[in-house]
Amino acid sequence: MAASKLQAFWNHPAGPKTIHFWAPTFKWGISIANVADFSKPPEKLSYPQQIAVTCTGFVWSRYSTVITPKNWNLFSVNVAMAVTGLYQLARKIRHDYFSETEVMAASKEH
Amino acid sequence: MAFRAFWNSPVGPKTTHFWGPVANWGFVTAGLADTQKPPQMISGNMTAAMCICSGLLMRFAWMVQPRNYLLLACHASNEIVQLYQLSRLAKSQGYLDQKKEEVER
Repeated sequence: MAASKLQAFWNHPAGPKTIHFWAPTFKWGISIANVADFSKPPEKLSYPQQIAVTCTGFVWSRYSTVITPKNWNLFSVNVAMAVTGLYQLARKIRHDYFSETEVMAASKEH
Repeated sequence: MAFRAFWNSPVGPKTTHFWGPVANWGFVTAGLADTQKPPQMISGNMTAAMCICSGLLMRFAWMVQPRNYLLLACHASNEIVQLYQLSRLAKSQGYLDQKKEEVER
């Protein structure tokens, strides 16, 4: 039973013998890199880059359901990109625009 | 005539086969914008990940149905931009200082 399922996976048109498998698999590297960068200070994040990651994530989630062969691996990795990109953007925006009041209040006290 | 052909193409602007690659050009634009920033801001993680992914996605663009030249062009460009950023980062951290090492010996 298990052997035939493994065979089905191995021989799938979007399986590990094809680029349709490895491209999305390595694309997880972008989301993993982004998660690693969650610990970076927001000043070091790049707006253009995170916007690119987020937009790509959303558009490609749709794209991966329309190509031949349909690619759920690609779909899930792009959902992850959209989510991590949004989180990084939120961090940076919060730092740039919403913590200014704290900084200003602190400087006023001095 | 040519515009009509483009507009109605199975990989044209009415389809996601067009907008997927357009979204990915965002990486190229972002990368180019970031070449003007100081190298300390470059994320080694992200840049290395993109170098690997763009290489693979170039192959993907060639093999997917329908074949996607726009995507191929996009990732070829991104590969170049990201490799450049990686070299800027490496240089700023002293990894490419071959001549300096020889002098120190």
